[in-house]
Amino acid sequence: MAPIVGIDLGTTNSLVAFMDKGLPRVIADEDSGALVPSIVSINEQGQVMVGMAALERLITDPRNTIFSVKRLMGKGIGDAGQEIELFHFPVAPDSEQVIRLKLRDQVLTPPEISAHVMRKLKANAEKFFGEAVTQAVITVPAYFNDAQRQATKDAGRIAGLEVLRLVNEPTAASLAYGLDKKKEGIVAVYDLGGGTFDISILKLQEGIFEVISTNGDTHLGGDDVDARLIALVLTVLKQQTGVDWSDDERAVQIVRRAVIAAKHRLSAEEGTEITFRLPDEKRTRVEIPVTREEFEELVRPVIDRTVPPVRKALEDAKLPPEGIDEVVLVGGATRMPMVRRLVEELFRRKPHTELNPDEVVALGAAVQADILAGGTTDMLLLDVTPLSLGIETLGGAVAKILHRNTTIPASSSEMFTTFVDGQTSVEIHVLQGERELVKDCRSLGRLKLRVPPLPAGMARIEVRFLIDANGILNVTARDTRSGEQQSIGVKPSYGLTDEEVERMLLESFEHAEEDLTERQVIEARNEAETILRATDKALASPAGGELRPEERLKIDEALDELKAVLDSRDYALIRDKIGQLNQATLRLAETMMDSAVKTALQGKKLDEVQ
Amino acid sequence: MEPSSSLCWNCQKRTGEEHFCTGCGKILPQRPGTDYFKFFGLPRKLNLDLEDLEKRFYTLSRKLHPDNFHRASPREKLLSLDKSAVLNDAYRTLKEPLTRAEYLLSLEGQKMEVHAKQAPPELLEEVFELNEWLAELKMAPPREGQNGHLAELRRQLETAKTHLQQRVEAFHQELIAIFTRWDAAVDSGNLDGQRQDLLEELSKTLAKRNYLRNLIRDVSAALAGQAETRNSNVEIRNSETAKGH
Repeated sequence: MAPIVGIDLGTTNSLVAFMDKGLPRVIADEDSGALVPSIVSINEQGQVMVGMAALERLITDPRNTIFSVKRLMGKGIGDAGQEIELFHFPVAPDSEQVIRLKLRDQVLTPPEISAHVMRKLKANAEKFFGEAVTQAVITVPAYFNDAQRQATKDAGRIAGLEVLRLVNEPTAASLAYGLDKKKEGIVAVYDLGGGTFDISILKLQEGIFEVISTNGDTHLGGDDVDARLIALVLTVLKQQTGVDWSDDERAVQIVRRAVIAAKHRLSAEEGTEITFRLPDEKRTRVEIPVTREEFEELVRPVIDRTVPPVRKALEDAKLPPEGIDEVVLVGGATRMPMVRRLVEELFRRKPHTELNPDEVVALGAAVQADILAGGTTDMLLLDVTPLSLGIETLGGAVAKILHRNTTIPASSSEMFTTFVDGQTSVEIHVLQGERELVKDCRSLGRLKLRVPPLPAGMARIEVRFLIDANGILNVTARDTRSGEQQSIGVKPSYGLTDEEVERMLLESFEHAEEDLTERQVIEARNEAETILRATDKALASPAGGELRPEERLKIDEALDELKAVLDSRDYALIRDKIGQLNQATLRLAETMMDSAVKTALQGKKLDEVQ
Repeated sequence: MEPSSSLCWNCQKRTGEEHFCTGCGKILPQRPGTDYFKFFGLPRKLNLDLEDLEKRFYTLSRKLHPDNFHRASPREKLLSLDKSAVLNDAYRTLKEPLTRAEYLLSLEGQKMEVHAKQAPPELLEEVFELNEWLAELKMAPPREGQNGHLAELRRQLETAKTHLQQRVEAFHQELIAIFTRWDAAVDSGNLDGQRQDLLEELSKTLAKRNYLRNLIRDVSAALAGQAETRNSNVEIRNSETAKGH
């Protein structure tokens, strides 16, 4: 059996890693290396493309390409307004409980889209190990609420993975750090990713990683930095060209790509240009100079939003900034010099920057996977729930039953009774959040207790709210008079039902078969095109003119036969005919002077020639 | 009430162990009649060595955490989940002196009012005056330096608050003293004779302290310019004390 893998399902990039003889390692993707862009696109043939292949399609087919879908996980249309505005996601109807996005003729939910990304990671891992991969540990932002966590679990399931544990990203990073450094003390993890910000304060002692407090913002990340730059560029364009490009999706994506590249450069350089070509007729080249100073001033409000959660986390931990022994930076955005300066200011010490901020979370997930597998036995994670859990009381108020930063697993029991004679059900509204009123907290769902008919106030139903090691709520109920387990109906406010997840999983199996065939066909056709072009070139060359008639005849025949089967979906047949043409052009290839064409004839891809 | 020994669900051996069966090593459900002190293998005393408690917590975490039971049977997984939740609650409760004291009171069957609605008798006048000032401040929108009288009011409240904080600290010291007497009684075997008195003292002191803490919170909030509409002296759940089982 292949090892349990650790998966970092990031806003911008995703990774898969495993523990290799005591050291965590990332498994690379053949196209993109360690980082797989969390981008999904559907092409004209209805084929789903993921990662590097989809990245280019952001520009060529933006309407059918989704990025940063993590920002939509666990949300309904009501609370994703900011995201939708920022990214023009193509929202479909029926999106109150779970957002539905329209891509070509398919309607997909965020978990399904994330599942596509995870399926690619799974496939990469399986290719690496040479066997099936069925179990994974997946990371989530520490500040993710119950619905967001459940959505991530659903995504894993749809991808065909048994999700053994959800691990908070800062905690995972601390595992990688702790493994590396074997140090003890108080560590703060400052994790600024593409779409989410987490700050966690942990105590590392004797191999125990105990989270003391955590805080964050699930609407804050590198994407927001990009948004400011994009807005600036579009404004400049409007001023200079008189054209408002903000409604042209291709243009926006082109600008986005240019802006991100410039942003990266500004981490090393004091100034740069944002360069791109507009998708107008003239393909106008645009060059906008920007200094690091200007950039920092523009994005300062975004970076400053990380300060209040840091202060709150320190407050909850009852620690002054000086009480922190080490600060670990996680997430690509922490490469920005201004972020490093801010962290240094906040904690009055230089942050630890030796770990790769892009990979550290996946590496930590691999360590946790190994802990579960029983491989690593001297480390243990004790995490906390980031948000208080409460139930609705009379008047629209919330009574907290489990406080934020409570170590998990955690449970609290409440006694419920009836108000009316013969009442047979009691409804409990469960919420997450720190505010006092229902309207300011996040609704998790409604529980329905079935109660035996009794006079009002006589029933005694004990309901136990348990937050498990994943940070997800489990509820059980017991009639204390009879001692019997009570049935609880749970109606979640957000997310997919179990039936929907099952259905999506089954559908993915059906599609997997189709997808595999489709890919074979496309690959075979591509190879055929390559060899056909090369053959034509060779025939037109001097060497081609020196062919003997019977040779030339054989080649022509093979050409015709290959061309004839190109449109068929029988990839085996196509490959067969390719082989035939290869044979026929063997001697021609040998006499060719043009090495590029020669190697193409000999069956190699042109870009592998070096 | 002594916790009973029971039969192990797995090997049927009679075991008095708290967490794992001595016969087959399987994780056990919560023993009937157990409590947080027993959970940690500690006597029912009020002064605790926090470093020792933390060590016990870490040791038990390593043994009971669901991470160790990933490949175990569903039943064991459930038990580990349950017990870990209890472990975390037990640690949280015993770690802080106040929650520890309240827990002890509930264990000893004292349905005492630790959230008093009335001011401590010795502070009645002081509290009465303070509440008047508070009411006055709440009615007038607090704007810095606008009204000389308001500024004076704020100063008075600040002074009163400081004084109350000193009183809270004094109550805290009283509590520690009661802790020490309780522990001494346990050690010398004289607990039964002193039990009721000590518990009453504990309860009263806790109540006074909590009342003052809530009042201080009200004052702070009012001074910060917020209108606290809740009557925080009748808090049911929301205080800094955790809930015990």
